[in-house]
Amino acid sequence: MAKSGLASRLYRGEADLNIVGRRKLWFAVAGVLVLVAVLSFAVRGFSLGIEFAGGNSFQVPASVGTLEQAEAKVDAALAAKGGGAEVVTAQKVGGTSGEYYELRTGQLTAEQANEVKTEMAQSFGIQADQISGSQVSEAWGSQVTSRALLGLLIFVAVVAIYLILRFEWRMAAAAIASLFTNLVLTAGIYSLVGFEVTPSTIIGFLTILGFALYDVVVVFDKVQENTRGITANNNQTYGEAANLALNQSLMRSLNTSVVALLPVGGLLFIGAGLLGAGTLKDLGLVLFVGMAVAFLTSILLATPLLVLLKNQDPRISAHNKRVLARRGAIARGEVTPKGAPRAAAATAEETIDPEAAALAGAAPKVGARPAGKRPSGARGGRPAGGGGNRPGGAKRR
Amino acid sequence: MRPGRQLAVLGFIFVVLYLLVFFSGGASGGWKDRLEPRLGLDLIGGTRLTLEATNTVDGKPPTSANLEEARQIIENRVNAYGVAEAEVVTEGNRNIVISLPGQNRDLTNVGEAAELRFRKVLKATDGSGAAAAPAPSASATPAPSGSATPAPSGSVTPAPSGSAAPKATASPSAGGQGGMAPTPSASAAAPTPSASPSAAAPSPSASAEPVPQSIEQQRKAIEQKVGAAAWAAASGLQAPADLTADPSLADKLKPFGTLSPQEIAVLPVGMQFNVPTITCQQLDNRPAASIKDENQQAVACESGAKYLLDKAKVLGTDVDDANAVLDQTSSWVVSLNFTGKGQEKWTALTREAFNNEGQACDQTALGQDGKCRVAVVLDNEIVSSPEIQGVLTGDSQITGSFDNKSANALASQLRYGALPVTFEPQEQQNVTATLGDSHLKAGLLAAGIGMLLVIIYSFFYYRLLGSVIFLSLVLSALLVFGALVVLGRSIGFTLTLAGIAGMIVSLGVAADSFVIYFERLKDEIREGRSPRSAVPRAWVRARRTIISANAITLMSAVVLYIVSVGAVKGFAFALGLATVLDLVVVFLFRHPIMTMFARTRAFLSPRVSGLGRALPARSAEPGAARNPRVKEA
Repeated sequence: MAKSGLASRLYRGEADLNIVGRRKLWFAVAGVLVLVAVLSFAVRGFSLGIEFAGGNSFQVPASVGTLEQAEAKVDAALAAKGGGAEVVTAQKVGGTSGEYYELRTGQLTAEQANEVKTEMAQSFGIQADQISGSQVSEAWGSQVTSRALLGLLIFVAVVAIYLILRFEWRMAAAAIASLFTNLVLTAGIYSLVGFEVTPSTIIGFLTILGFALYDVVVVFDKVQENTRGITANNNQTYGEAANLALNQSLMRSLNTSVVALLPVGGLLFIGAGLLGAGTLKDLGLVLFVGMAVAFLTSILLATPLLVLLKNQDPRISAHNKRVLARRGAIARGEVTPKGAPRAAAATAEETIDPEAAALAGAAPKVGARPAGKRPSGARGGRPAGGGGNRPGGAKRR
Repeated sequence: MRPGRQLAVLGFIFVVLYLLVFFSGGASGGWKDRLEPRLGLDLIGGTRLTLEATNTVDGKPPTSANLEEARQIIENRVNAYGVAEAEVVTEGNRNIVISLPGQNRDLTNVGEAAELRFRKVLKATDGSGAAAAPAPSASATPAPSGSATPAPSGSVTPAPSGSAAPKATASPSAGGQGGMAPTPSASAAAPTPSASPSAAAPSPSASAEPVPQSIEQQRKAIEQKVGAAAWAAASGLQAPADLTADPSLADKLKPFGTLSPQEIAVLPVGMQFNVPTITCQQLDNRPAASIKDENQQAVACESGAKYLLDKAKVLGTDVDDANAVLDQTSSWVVSLNFTGKGQEKWTALTREAFNNEGQACDQTALGQDGKCRVAVVLDNEIVSSPEIQGVLTGDSQITGSFDNKSANALASQLRYGALPVTFEPQEQQNVTATLGDSHLKAGLLAAGIGMLLVIIYSFFYYRLLGSVIFLSLVLSALLVFGALVVLGRSIGFTLTLAGIAGMIVSLGVAADSFVIYFERLKDEIREGRSPRSAVPRAWVRARRTIISANAITLMSAVVLYIVSVGAVKGFAFALGLATVLDLVVVFLFRHPIMTMFARTRAFLSPRVSGLGRALPARSAEPGAARNPRVKEA
């Protein structure tokens, strides 16, 4: 019952999850994860594909025998003509038109590669043109990467300008900070799990940029709408308004993420499941991981960061003080601490139905946890530090 | 009315697009052929090679003009392979990408540095492979495409009388390279062509540097291939064999005609020249840089004539600049400037050629005026072999029957020799047709699965509204497909596997814009608006979000497309294209169809629209009160 209640509240954008209020928790978690990721870069590094190390790969139809036989024959061919190169990995790769063995070898010169191919064709008893091959110099991967980094910088610059024009600089800063966290965490997962990094991975990595910001833009759009003219009345702190916007757009974010992940899942399924290797798998994997991380960072990081930045704005911080002062006055004067903030929090005027009642009952619970931390947080020199918390709930205790 | 008008615009776009698909320029063949987009090499099989160009002077990327010249040279080289449909394009600021659809071959050699050499023509013979004896006169005539004359500015009359003094300066070099030639003084037209040069011709292989082991092995292999008798006969030749005189020899030498260009390239120079069954076609197709060694004599062809060429005494790097210009008589000439040191070498070479000193040039190789010719050799072929009409101490001009185009082509080839660019093969991919087919099917399957998942989800979540998503996605897919076909034809866009992945990813973008819109609609309805009024309101608000969000995706696609290299480009293009077309569908299809939809009763039914679940929250709202049972969620 409680679960369906949450689902249904989520559906209506009334889940009332206190995300902004717990921002210290999210920042701490994100900080730790980023630290782990960076440590992992330093200690474990990445497992790079042949495109970075330089090397050759051959694709032989699986009809030539077992993988072991194929590998042995290729090794023999390499020993004969390959000038000391060896098979690095051998893998069976699926396909809709028959299966293949993909054999990766050390770097060969063009002549060696041709000779090895001819030799392989002879020992397998097939035509040389049935063997696909690719050759990559060690500089190629780094060329792709350096161009990708350049692309990343240009993209961030362009998007920052766009976001500043479309929203404001604080939103742009929050969005881009969460974007970088997203990238670092995705790269961290790659480093920790040891997924292979190929140029295709880098492509996908850059595409995450677009998606990570997509979600953030959706949420910020709502935040902007909810906080327009917020200083005109004293009902809500900025953090509360942002949290409400977050809750209202939570379902939307969840939906857009799921919908964006579905085709990528298809890509991954075919790439990893059917083909076993190659562009589709690399792209699918990095997009899947990156988009999943993007969903979390856009919800848990971008908006709390925005609130943090916004609270530095003198106008907003003065406003937050006013709101808190007014609430204090209400608490002292009248005995309606519960009704006032609730009505303010939900712009969508709902009449009381069972769901809403359950919701109201749940509200103190949500506020309860940060209440314990409140003294340290709120008095820490930032008057509106606890803006997302329910002051009402805290006062009640 | 309005929705109708928007749908009409969409219909118009469709009609125009598909008219273009079927009837635009380049559309040919049956209906099915016209519907085929240009597929990349990883989907249909073929070879792709990426070469990275580096400026040899400072290690930086070459200038765009240099890169373009380099691209043209590479294109010429690839075309020399006799490959149809080869595509050579520049990518970014330093890459040249060569694509050979449907062919599986090694291309890494095309990136070998272009070797421009100036070599004196020593002997000439027929290179057509015809059994006829090389008629000396016949072989000489096709060649003189031009003849070098001193440029007006530098017309320090190279009088023959002055040859005494220059001879002193010329002789050290002549002695140095012609050391093994027994008759350095063969200044007159040698009466017996075979006598003097024949000793020199085979000598480079025998006495010059020790032949590398691998070449020796390859020669052995060829010896076995052609048979010992043929090999012996060929080795024994001292001059181009006259096959009409000796039919049995023709039979013996026949196997040489079947050797591959690679095999020809390792043969001794004398053999390449003397065996008549080795044709110019084979010689022209030798791997790049086969005759780049400047200290070796070489054999190369021009217009079907086979020339034995002296060591290269002037190199491409000695050329400072070359331009096609109109001279006073309004005929096109190619003016040639050398660098300081290059000029010295050039003067020495022209002196040697003009006076016929050093390694003598044979009667067969003389120009119309009885002077030696100097061949301009680019890679394996002679681009021009002008007769030297004086000792050239200044800027030179190559005259001949040039027109604007041919003069510019020669100038560009000469310049290219001076082009300070080297190429490094970065990535080569050979994909067999079956593997390509497998990629294509896998890509399409992935796209199908992705689309299916999105559609299932949208029907599950939005019920009947899912059909709007479904129709929009189908429309998008049709638009994207049409655009692919048209763009493939008009700007040469090829769809690669990465491109298919971009399309699949864009499915998510397309579906996302629905989610944004429908969730907005839900918000509006929850706030108590009737669906009919909620639709336009939600549209106005969602439009803003959709445009900003799509703008971001588009930005990432554009930036990626501009800066990236390799497969990323195709991916970015596909993603950007699909995003733009998604916006078209959003504005011209979804909005009007929703407006029309909002007028129907079914729209209100929660079971049908999937929006109804938003309603019961407002028990006061009569529309919601009708359906209280949707509580279960």
